[in-house]
Order: sequence, then structure tokens, then C-alpha cells
Amino acid sequence: MSSPPRRTGKVPTGWLLAIAVVVIYVGVVLIDDDKGWSFWLDQTRNGLTTGSLYALIALGYTMVYGVLRMINFAHGEVFMIGSFTGWVVLTKVFGGNDMSDAVIAPAILVAMLAAAVVTAGSVIVIERIAYRPLRHAPRLAPLISAIGVSIFLQNLFLRLTEGRFRQYPRIFPQGPGESVDLGFTSIDYIEIFLIGSSILMMLALYLFVQRTKMGVSIRAVAEDQEVSALMGVNVNRVIALTFVIGAALAGVAGVMYGLWLLNIKGTMGFLPGIKAFTAAVLGGIGNIPGAMAGGFLIGLAESVGREQLNSVFNPVLHWIGAGGLGLGNEWKDVVAFVVLVGVLLLRPTGIFGEVVGKRA
Amino acid sequence: MRERLRSNAIVKPVADALAVARRRSERAYGSVPNALRLFLLAALLIGVPFYEDPFAGGVIFDERWLAVFRLVGLYIMLGLGLNVVVGYAGLLDLGYVAFFASGAYLYALLASPASPAIDFPIDDVPWLFWAMLPAALFVGALFGVLLGIPVLPMRGDYLAIVTLGFGEIIRLFLINKTDFTGGSQGLYGIKAPPLPDFPGLNITELKSTALTEWYIFIVIAIFIVAFCATRLRDSRMGRAWEAIREDEDVAEAMGIDTIKYKLMAFAMGAAIGSLGGTIFAAFQGSAIPDSFDLLVSINVVSLVVIGGMGSTWGVVLGAVILIGIPDFLRFREASDFLGLFDPLVPFADTHNWAEDLRENRFIVFGALLVAVMVLRPSGLIPSRRRQIEFAAAAEEA
Repeated sequence: MSSPPRRTGKVPTGWLLAIAVVVIYVGVVLIDDDKGWSFWLDQTRNGLTTGSLYALIALGYTMVYGVLRMINFAHGEVFMIGSFTGWVVLTKVFGGNDMSDAVIAPAILVAMLAAAVVTAGSVIVIERIAYRPLRHAPRLAPLISAIGVSIFLQNLFLRLTEGRFRQYPRIFPQGPGESVDLGFTSIDYIEIFLIGSSILMMLALYLFVQRTKMGVSIRAVAEDQEVSALMGVNVNRVIALTFVIGAALAGVAGVMYGLWLLNIKGTMGFLPGIKAFTAAVLGGIGNIPGAMAGGFLIGLAESVGREQLNSVFNPVLHWIGAGGLGLGNEWKDVVAFVVLVGVLLLRPTGIFGEVVGKRA
Repeated sequence: MRERLRSNAIVKPVADALAVARRRSERAYGSVPNALRLFLLAALLIGVPFYEDPFAGGVIFDERWLAVFRLVGLYIMLGLGLNVVVGYAGLLDLGYVAFFASGAYLYALLASPASPAIDFPIDDVPWLFWAMLPAALFVGALFGVLLGIPVLPMRGDYLAIVTLGFGEIIRLFLINKTDFTGGSQGLYGIKAPPLPDFPGLNITELKSTALTEWYIFIVIAIFIVAFCATRLRDSRMGRAWEAIREDEDVAEAMGIDTIKYKLMAFAMGAAIGSLGGTIFAAFQGSAIPDSFDLLVSINVVSLVVIGGMGSTWGVVLGAVILIGIPDFLRFREASDFLGLFDPLVPFADTHNWAEDLRENRFIVFGALLVAVMVLRPSGLIPSRRRQIEFAAAAEEA
């Protein structure tokens, strides 16, 4: 496995591209004024919140891809397992909606820790059973195996919950008058919590990968498995470690998803999984800061991009007599796929680089 | 472990006898000309609805069975189509349902009275279904090329995810474009295809309830599709696909027009998928977006891979295992059959485990995918040529 050519230079193109995206975004928001500022701020806020979840999930994809060159199709289901673990802790251990105010903070903390531990444990089992034996198999085999794991887990949880939704307790007040007023806009407590804690976790991960010995070994294995094995790195251990870190982040993201959107279900992992994967590709798969940026960008693209595309394309569509073709709210899920196809076609390296797409 | 079992005093004579019998039957089978063999097989399969039970009387495979066989047959067709893309050309397409849906809607839009697309009475065109079969092939191929162009530079996992995205976009399109596709309600009341006056046929149209006729129709269709697919595989194009599958860069260096042949693979696969879609819409009598979800794509890919990529018999076996058995588990006979194993199951007297198995069949399906991949990464019946390749690769490693 040869290492990809590294881009060198003082100002990486990736950052320029990212800045360009932000500038275009602000510009487009400024041009369109019939919806008003508060509408766009709402969309942005929403986009950043979803984006922080995508970013957390995307880290798992990117890290595993970095070391194994494999897309862990079951990652969305790991996220789902985390969400259910959190639900069990919050409702069965801490009493759900009857929780007293004093235990709220420890309850959330314990739920997140439990989710991280359970997802980490399950992913170790998954890796051992379904992925490790296939490391040198024909390239479609691990993919099908991962799809198998995904179907298995999805249906297992659907079965355990009889196909119904499970409700998280409403811990954070949501709704009108229950938010922090910033003057120009207001922001829900849960949104502050989500964005804040995910940024904290990402920082921690970044420092871990850059500064610690284990982090160095992860990067070494990503660069070249065989050579790092010769240098005394326990490759199997490192691979398991990346799976565990990715899974723990996804598990915590699952709890946050539940706290935010309240309803969880066995099939909930699929779409966030795909979108997070898109985020990872957008940021340059294998690239950790890229996945974080990609997550936020996909979140924004989803909530803002759809509105914006509509305001740009609708007049054109009307003009050519296809007015009905405008994108409705249901098309939100398509945005991620369009971004994915676009990125792979126009800049397969993602905005922060690393040559992919053609490989694998 | 296996070796020790083989040298066991009880197992050995049995195994030897079986090996001799197998060799003899293979020799006898091998002496029959290929065409005759296929003809016999076709006759055997077409006869299935008429087999009679010598003990209890009546037919062995009643309507419920034929309904399952029909579905399995449809998936065999889809599998053969996807096999061209995945097995021959090595392009992992997870959005195969897009072509299946396009074929189904192509026919449904013209043949359903609920269709918003037409406003002429469809009764005027009695032969519509038969005309739509070649049309479906053509439109499917077109769709294949259209969706194939943007993914030309992609390989492996990326191709998988992007095609998966296409499959989902098609479904969302079908649900959301209410004024064109009838929305989530779908198109229903599709007229049954008429049949010409054949001697011995006592029905005039292929209603959804005409299970025997549909079954025979699908068996014939499978034979035609399988014939075409294997001919394609052995053609110049098939060899180009194989080269691309093994190494795209080397293939290109050897002068193979990779763009052309990759698009051809997408087109051929899509044409068969679309044909399957038209047949599906006709025997279902309706086309609803829910029938075209991701699970269809995953089912088809899984049956191709589990059966053994590139192998025709693998597709058949894969479809029987993945589509047939889960359906079979719903039958009363399945409980009776599984009941035979009760003595082996420790919790049989307290647990209706056959029932559990039936209700959890998707969980079993997922686990089965993993198990087959881990134990036989090249599938249950690997195509002969690929088998050799894998053996060589294993020696190298």
C-alpha cells in the first residue's frame, strides 16, 4: 500500500476552498433578503447543530478509512446503539421524565459514558467477527460483511423495540421562550450543549491524535501498515483503537441526537450514517480536521442549501415552464447525495486533500 | 478438524461412497450435450406447477409456492443483470433498484388508469405489455448510461455509496413528484397483459392471480436472460469487462476503451433490471415507491455476492437462499420441517423456535451475510475462472 502524495506549502488549497465556501454562503444569504435575517440565522443555527452530530459520526468513518481503507457501513448502526444505550440509562436508571433537577447533569454524563462504553464494546466484537477475518479478502467481501452487520443490528433493534419509536425524556427545555436570547437571534440550550460538547470532543481527539504516542501510532498505521508493523507498532491494536474511538464518538452523538430530537428508532442510523460519510468525503477522507469541517458544512448545506437552491433555481425553473420541479422539504435528504457526487467528481480529494475515489 | 473427521472409521466409507457416486453422476451428466441439458432443465422447471403428489394427491406446489417461486425467479433475473455489472465488470452498484423502478414505472405510467402521464384509454393498445418489454430494455440501457456517466471515474466503495445515493434519489423522486408518478400512493390497476390464442392455454390474459402462467413466463425469461448474459460474458466485451475488473489501469494500457466498456456494463445490467421492473409491475398490478427501497438493491447485491460473483448458478442459489427461504419460513410446511429438528434443539419444548426464526428472519439474513463472507469470501459457487484467480491470490499472500 503506497502512501498518498502529501500536499506541501504554506497556504493549503483546502483552507482557501473552505473560506471560499463560507464567503459564498454569506454572500448568498446577503443577496437574498425577502426571507429576512432571522430566517437565515435560524437555518444556520439548525445547520450547525445537525452538522456537529454529522461531524462526530464522520470522525469514525474517516479514522477507520484512514487505517483500513474500508468504509464501515455499520457505523450508522453504532450511532443507533449509542442512542439506545443512552435511552436505557436515562429512562430505566434515572427515571426518565421524573428525574429530579439535581441528577440531570450526572445523568447525562453517565448516559454518554455508558453509550461510549457500549458502542466501543460492540464495535470490538463486530471488528473481530466480521472485519478482521476479511482484511485480505477480495475487496467486496468486507463491504458485504459490513452491510450484513448493519442489517443485523438494525433489525435486531427494530425487533427489540417492536418497530416503534422510543422517547427520550425531555431534559432540555425546548420551545418558545425557553432559549437564550442573543439579541439578534435566540439559541436553544440543547443547541449550545450539542455544538459546545462536540467541539470539545473534537478538540480532545485532535490533541490525542497529534500529541500522544498512541495518536502517533494511529497516524503511522494510516501512512503505511507494513512499515509501522516493522517499527514495532501493534497494528491490530491500533486498528481496534481507531474503531473504538470512532464508535465512542458516534455513541455520544447518538445520545445527543436523542436529547435533541427525542424520538429514536432502530432505523435511525441509516441517513445520518450516509450523510456523515458524505461529510468525511467532503473533508477529505482519512483527514480528521477535514471530517469535522465536512460535518458542519453538510449540516449547513442541508438546512441552508435547499432554501438557497430553491431561491436560485425556482425562477429559472418557472421560466422554462417546470415550476413544479422546485425542491420541497422532503428533498433535504437528497442534498447530501448531490454534494457527495459533486465532490467525488470535481474534487475527489475533498476540500482538505488526500487522493481517494480512484483507489480502493 | 476436517481432516480428522474424514479419517473417522464411520465417516470414511460413507464419504468414499458419496465421492464415487458423485464422480459417476458427474461423468454421466458430462456426456449429455449442453443444449440438451439446458432443455431438460427447462422442461423440469416448467413442469413444477404440474407435479402431483403421489401420496396425498393434488399438486405438490400449490399457489403459495408458485408465488414464492415467481418472486425468486424475478430476483434471479435481477441478479443476472447485476451480475453483469458487479460480477463481470467488477463495478459495485448499490443503486440497482433505480433501474428496476424505472422499468416498473415505465410500464405503469402507460398502463395504469391512475397514471397522470396519459389521458387515452389504454384498452386501445392491448399488446402494450409485449411492446414494453423491448422498450424497457432500451430505456433501462439509456438510464444505465445516464447514471453511469457521472460515476465513471469512481471505483470500489465510492461507486457503491454514490450509486446507493442514486437509488435513494429515485425513490424520493417517485414519492415527491406526485403530479408525475402518483406519489406515495403509487400507480395501481395496471391492466393484465393479454395472451395470444395458444393451443392449451385456457386464459386470455396474464392476471396477477394466474400464478402458473406467470411462473412459466418468468422461467422462460430467466433462461433467455441467462443465455444472453453468458454469451455476453464470453464475448469480446466480456473479456474487456474482466480485464477492467482485474485492473482498470492495466486494461486501459492494453488498449481497452474502459469508458465504453464500463458504460456498456452499466447499460446491460440496467436493461435487465428494467426488464425485471416491467415484469414486476405487470404481475403486481401496481407500482408503489415503497417497493423500490434500498433493501431491493441490497438483496440483489447480496445474492450475487453470496452466490459467487460472476457465476450464473451462484445467482440462482443466492436468490433461493436469500429470497426463497425467508418466504418459505412463513409456510406451515416450514414449521413442520423445522419441527423435525426439535430433538436437536435443547429449548424446543418451551420455545416455538421455528416461529422465532420466521419472525427474526431479517436478523438471520444479516448474520448470514456476515457468515458467508467470513467463511467463503468468494461466494458459495464461485465462478470457475474467479476461483482460479482467488486460489492464485491466496498462494501469493
